[in-house]
Amino acid sequence: MKRITALFLAAVMIVLSAASLTACGNKTSDFKVGVILVGDATEGYTKAHIDGIQAAAKKLGLADSQIEWKYSVPETSDCANAAEDLVDKGCKIVISNSYGHQNYMAEVAPKYPDVTFVAMTGDFAAISGIANLCNAFTKVYESRYVSGVVAGLKLKELLDKGTVSKDATPNAYDADGNIKIGYVGAYPYAEVVSGYTAFFLGIRSVVSNVSMSVQYTKSWFNYEDEKTVANALIDSGCVIIGQHADSTGAPTACEDAVKNGKVVFSVGYNVDMLQAAPTAALTSATNNWEVYYEHAIKTVMDGKKLEQDWAQGYESNSVAITALGKSAAEGTQAKVDEVVAAIKGGTLHVFDLKTFTVGGAAISSNIVDFSYMDFSGATPRVVYQGQQQETVKNGYVEESVLRSAPYFSIRIDGITELNPN
Amino acid sequence: MPENKEAVRLRGISKTFGHVAANTNVNLSIRHGEILSLLGENGSGKTTLMNMLAGIYYPDEGEILIDDVPVQIKSPKDAFDNGIGMVHQHFKLIDVFTAAENIVLGENADRMKIDRKAVAAKIREICDKYGFDIDPDKKVYDMNVSQKQTLEIVKILYRGANILILDEPTAVLTPQESEKLFRVIRNMRDAGKAIVIITHKLQEVLSVSDRVAILRKGECVASIDTVNANEKILTEMMMGRKVDLNIERPEPVNPTKRLEIKNLTVRDREGNLALKDISFVANSGEILGIAGISGCGQKELLESVAGLAAVESGSIEYLPSDAVTPTELVGKNPKQIRELGVVLSFVPEDRLGMGLVGSMGMSENMMLKSYENGKTIFTEQKAPRELAGSIKDELEVQTPDIQTPVSRLSGGNVQKVLVGREIAAAPQVLMTAYAVRGLDINTSFTIYRLINEQKKKGVAVIFVGEDLDVLLALSDRILVLCEGRITGILDARTCTKEQVGLLMTGGTGVESNGAEQSK
Amino acid sequence: MRAMAQSKANKEPLVHVVRKEDTTTLKKWMLRVIAVAAALLVTGAFVFAVTGINPFNIYGAMVTGTFGTPRRIRNTIKTLTPLLCLGVGLAPAFKMKFWNIGAQGQMLVGALAASFVALTFRNLPGGVLIPLMGLGAILAGALWAVLPAIFKAFWNTNETLFTLMMNYIATFWVMYSVDVWKGESSGFASFKQIAKNAVMPVIAKENFYICTGIVLIVAALMYIYMKRTKHGYELAVVGESEKTARYAGINVKKVTIRTMVLSGAICGLCGFLTVSGIDFTLSHTMNNGFGFTAIVVAWLAKFNPFTMIGTSFMMVFFQNAASEISSMNANATEYLSNVISGIILFFLIGVEFFINYRLVFRKNGKEGK
Repeated sequence: MKRITALFLAAVMIVLSAASLTACGNKTSDFKVGVILVGDATEGYTKAHIDGIQAAAKKLGLADSQIEWKYSVPETSDCANAAEDLVDKGCKIVISNSYGHQNYMAEVAPKYPDVTFVAMTGDFAAISGIANLCNAFTKVYESRYVSGVVAGLKLKELLDKGTVSKDATPNAYDADGNIKIGYVGAYPYAEVVSGYTAFFLGIRSVVSNVSMSVQYTKSWFNYEDEKTVANALIDSGCVIIGQHADSTGAPTACEDAVKNGKVVFSVGYNVDMLQAAPTAALTSATNNWEVYYEHAIKTVMDGKKLEQDWAQGYESNSVAITALGKSAAEGTQAKVDEVVAAIKGGTLHVFDLKTFTVGGAAISSNIVDFSYMDFSGATPRVVYQGQQQETVKNGYVEESVLRSAPYFSIRIDGITELNPN
Repeated sequence: MPENKEAVRLRGISKTFGHVAANTNVNLSIRHGEILSLLGENGSGKTTLMNMLAGIYYPDEGEILIDDVPVQIKSPKDAFDNGIGMVHQHFKLIDVFTAAENIVLGENADRMKIDRKAVAAKIREICDKYGFDIDPDKKVYDMNVSQKQTLEIVKILYRGANILILDEPTAVLTPQESEKLFRVIRNMRDAGKAIVIITHKLQEVLSVSDRVAILRKGECVASIDTVNANEKILTEMMMGRKVDLNIERPEPVNPTKRLEIKNLTVRDREGNLALKDISFVANSGEILGIAGISGCGQKELLESVAGLAAVESGSIEYLPSDAVTPTELVGKNPKQIRELGVVLSFVPEDRLGMGLVGSMGMSENMMLKSYENGKTIFTEQKAPRELAGSIKDELEVQTPDIQTPVSRLSGGNVQKVLVGREIAAAPQVLMTAYAVRGLDINTSFTIYRLINEQKKKGVAVIFVGEDLDVLLALSDRILVLCEGRITGILDARTCTKEQVGLLMTGGTGVESNGAEQSK
Repeated sequence: MRAMAQSKANKEPLVHVVRKEDTTTLKKWMLRVIAVAAALLVTGAFVFAVTGINPFNIYGAMVTGTFGTPRRIRNTIKTLTPLLCLGVGLAPAFKMKFWNIGAQGQMLVGALAASFVALTFRNLPGGVLIPLMGLGAILAGALWAVLPAIFKAFWNTNETLFTLMMNYIATFWVMYSVDVWKGESSGFASFKQIAKNAVMPVIAKENFYICTGIVLIVAALMYIYMKRTKHGYELAVVGESEKTARYAGINVKKVTIRTMVLSGAICGLCGFLTVSGIDFTLSHTMNNGFGFTAIVVAWLAKFNPFTMIGTSFMMVFFQNAASEISSMNANATEYLSNVISGIILFFLIGVEFFINYRLVFRKNGKEGK
C-alpha cells in the first residue's frame, strides 16, 4: 500500500510541475496569430491554408510559437469556443478556414472589437455591420480559365492527330457535333458555377465545338463519389474531366481509364494531381493563400484596419496552375504565359459577354442581390441587407469584385447540369 | 480388504477466494480400486477441492501427488495427462454433436477426420467392460439427463482416466437411474479405478462408497471406512455437533378444499405440451408433495397457478376459507391475482432469476410484490426495511447489511430471504419448488420447520421436491408427475420410495433395482 | 525437497487470476487513480516517441486544456452540458438493460423538432417559443425511442440494431432539412441571426448556463426517479430479469415502452438545449457524436446520474487534452488525439478488472519451506 501511495504522489507531482512549466513559457512576443482549421495537414484543402500561413509567417518574421493552431474544429459551437480561447491566448487576428465557421466567428467577433476575425470564404462580413469581421477569397476562376486553356490545347492536339474524331471516337460527340467535356462539381453554388463556367470558356477559347456536362457530388470531399461520377462521365464519352471537389477521385478514374485504352484527360483542383494520375493529369487550378495571409497578418500587425472583403487573382499571383503534366500539348506553357499576361494586363476578361450566350441570346445585364438571405421560412427574408448591383461592366461580367465570395451564377449555353437540385 | 495403492495424495492444500477460505490445509488420499465419498454441506469446499485436481483452479498452497509423484495441474489438459477426469454438475456437452463426436472432441480438432469405426469400437469396448448403455450416434439433444451423464463418464474413460471425480451425480437422477449408476461405478472400482463421489446425501454415501472423507468449512475433518459409519455419525461429523434428523409431520387440522385444478393443459415457451389434462385438489392445512423427474411439468404446474404460464385449457379454482364461490385464476397475471385478494406465495426454483433481484439488497427485495403500496409515486422505504430486518433476525440470515445485494449471499441465505418474504405475506396458498436444493442440513430443516408452521396455520402447501426421502417424510399426500401427466396420488404416510420411483418413470419399462444392495 | 528437483518442467504457473470479493471503496478509487497515472505515463511515452514533444509539456497541456483559463473552464461546462444530458437520458434505458444506441438519433430529431418550431413560429416571444421548442424536441425524441421499444416489447426485435439504424434516419433527415432551409445560400444561418427569440436568454454573459441548470435538475430528478419511485423500481427489476418482473406482476411491455419514452425524451431535450443555448443552429454534426460518447459516460458511472457528472467531465477533460496536445506540433494531428483518448480509456476500463480480480505471482524460494 505504501508503494502505491508513493507512486500516486509521484504521478501527481509530475502533472503539477508540468502544468507550472507550461504556464510560464508563454511570453516570447506580443503578436499572435490564431488559426482555426476544419481539418489538419493530412487533408488537401486545409494543408493549402497551413502552407500559406506558415509561408506568410516566415516572410513576416513570426516565430512558430506566435501562431496558435486549432486543428479539426467542427462547424459547431466548438468553433466559437476555439475562437474565444485564441483571443484569451492573446491572438490579435483569428482566422478560420471553412465557410461553416463564419456564423460562429460572427457570434464571437462583436465581443472583442480589438481583435480581427477573418472567416475565409465567407460572404457576409462587409454587410453584417460587425466591423472586425472579415472575409477573403481568391479569384480562382481566373486560374480555372487558364486550366481550361491547357485542356483546350490538349483537345486541339487530339483532334489534329485524329485521336479524337467522329470516326475514331463517335461516342465523344454529342448530337450537335460538340465534343463532350465532363465536370465533377461539389454543390450547385455560385462558387462552383463560376468555376466551371470559367473552365469551360477556357476550353472553348481554343476549341469552339465543345459542350460540358456537370454532375454534383453534394460534398466537398468524397473520394468514392467523385471517382464514381468521373467514371460515369468517362463512360458517356467525355474526353476532358474537370473538377471542383477536393479529392483525387476524378484524376484516379481518368488514369484508370487511360490504362484501359480510353482517351481522357483530367484537370484537377487545389493540389497537383500528377501523383494520382501521371498520364491523365494535365494541370490543376490552385490558390496561393500566402499572398492574402501575408497581407492580412501584416495589416493587423501594423495596427491598421483590414478590409472586410478581399479578393485577388493573377494580379498578385494569388492564383496559379500547377506544373504541366507530361501529357500537356506542345506549346502549352507559352500559351499559358500569354493568357496569364492578358488577364494581368486587363485585356482578357474571363466572363466576356462576347464569349457566351444564355438561352440562345447574348446578355447585357446581370443584377445580383448581395443581401445575406434566410430561406428557411415561407418567403425568403433578409438577414443582412446588401445592395442590388449590376455585375456587367464594360462588356464583361465582373466576378469577386463587388464581393470576394463568388456570385457569378449564370447558367450559360453549352453547359448542362445533370443533377441541378 | 487389503490396503489399495494410493492414486492421489493431497498435501496441505489451501485455496482462498478473496477473504473466504474455501479449503484450508486439506490432506487427503484417494486409492485405486476404491470408491471415496467426499461428504460435506454446501459450501464446505468439496467441489473447490476437486476442481483443483481437475485443473479448474490452482491451489494457493500445498502439493498434489499422483502415484507418489508431485505434479502441477495448471489446466484441465494437465489433469487429463495425469489420468484425472471429472464429471461436473453441469454437463459440458455439445448438443448438436453425437455421443461419439462429443467423446473425441478436443482430441482431434477436425470433426471430419475422425475414424468413426475405430472410435465406435473403443466406445463399445468401454461400455461392455463396465456395463454402460450408450448409442454412439445419438445426438446429445435427444438424450435424457441420465444418458448425458453416462456419456460424460464414458468420455473421460475414453480419454484414459484412472481417477474419476463425479460431482453430485445423483442430483438429477431417479432412484432407479441412481442404482444403475452405482452399478457401473462399482464395476469401475473393481477394474481398479479410483473414484470420488462428491455428495451430501447420506444414504448414498452408505450404500455406494468404501470410504468417506468429510469436509467441514474447508477442512478435511475425518476419513473413515464406510462399514464403520452410519447416518448419525456422518451427520455429526458434517455439522460438528449432534443434529435431530427427524422431519416433523403434524396431522392436518380440518382440511378443506383450497385449490381445485380441473383438466389443466399448459404449453411451455417452446410450444410443447407441458401439462396434459391434469386434475387434483390442494387442501388447506395439508402439504401436497409433488414428485417427478425434473422437467416433467412441475414448473409449469406452479407457474400456471401463479399466473405466469399460458394455460391452454382447464381451470384453476381458488376457494378462500370464508367463502363458497370459487374464484377462477386462469387468465389472470400475478398482479390481477393479487388484486383479487388472493394471497398466493410462490418460492420458485430459480431463486435469483425469478424470485429475487440479485443486484438488490434484502430491503428492496421485500418490495418485489408490494412495491405498489402507498398512494404516492414513490416507493415505501420504511416497511420493507423493517420486514427485511425482522427476517434477517428471525431466520438468522447471514448478510453484512440488509442493503447488500442478495446475489452476494450464500445459497442458503438467499433461500431464507425468499421464503421469509413469501411467508411474511400471510399466504393462503404456498408453493415451493425445490425449496432445499443446494442448502445445508441446518437451513433445510429451517425451511421444513417454516413450511410446517404454515401448514399448521391452515395454509395449503404445494411442495415440489426431488429428494424422495424428504418428500415421504414431509408431505401428507404425494402427487407424481410423469411427462406432464399425473401418474398417481399417494398417501405419503403409507407409500414407499420404490412405488413413487416407479410412478415417476410412468410405472412401466424400468426394472426396479431397489433390492440390490452394496456388497 | 526432492519433489522440486524431479519436476522442473512442471513449474507453477507464473501468474494466476483470483477473484476479489470485497474491495473497499477507498482501494477502488486508489486503483482508479493509479490507472489514470499509468495512462498518463504511457500517453506521455507514446506521444514523445511519435512527435518528440516533451512528455511534461503534454501533461501540462492536458491540465491547461481544461483549467488553463477561466474561459476554458466555462467552455468545459458548455461542452459537458449536452454530454451529461445524454448520459442521464441513457441511464434508465441501460438500467433496464435496453441497449439504446440511439441517443444520437434521438438528440438529432429533438434538435430538428426544436428548429422546426423555432423557424415556424419565430415571431412568438421567447417566453412562449422556447418552451414550445423544448416540448417539440421532447416529443420527437420520445417518438424516436418508442418505436424500437414497441418492436422490442411486442416482437422482441434487437434494440441495439434498431436504435442504431434510427440514428442514420435522423442524421439524413437533419441533413435534408438543413439543405432545404438554407435554400440558395451556402450554409444554414445562425438562430441568432434569423430566429433571435429561439435563443436562450443570457445569464452571466453566456446562453448555456440555463441549459446546464436544466440538465442538472434533470439529473437530480432522474436520480430520484430511479432510486425512489415505483417506476424506477419496476425498470430496475425488468433490467435484472424479465422472469422476476413477470413473477412480481410487472407489465414488462409497458415498463419497456414507458422507460424508452423517458430516455428518448431526455435525449430529445438535449437536442433542444443544443440548438437553443449552445450551437444556435441545426447541423447533423452537432455535439460531435456525443450520442455515442454518452454510452461510455453512462457505463463508467454505472448508470448513476450523479456519478455521470464526474464521468462526463472526465470525457470532456480528455477531449480538451487531446485537442490541446494536437495544437502543439504539426505531427500531432487529430488522429493522435484519438489514440491518446483511446489509451486513457483503455486504462480506465481495464482497471475495473483489477478492482474485481487479483493477480497472484509465483512465489520464489519455495524450496526453503
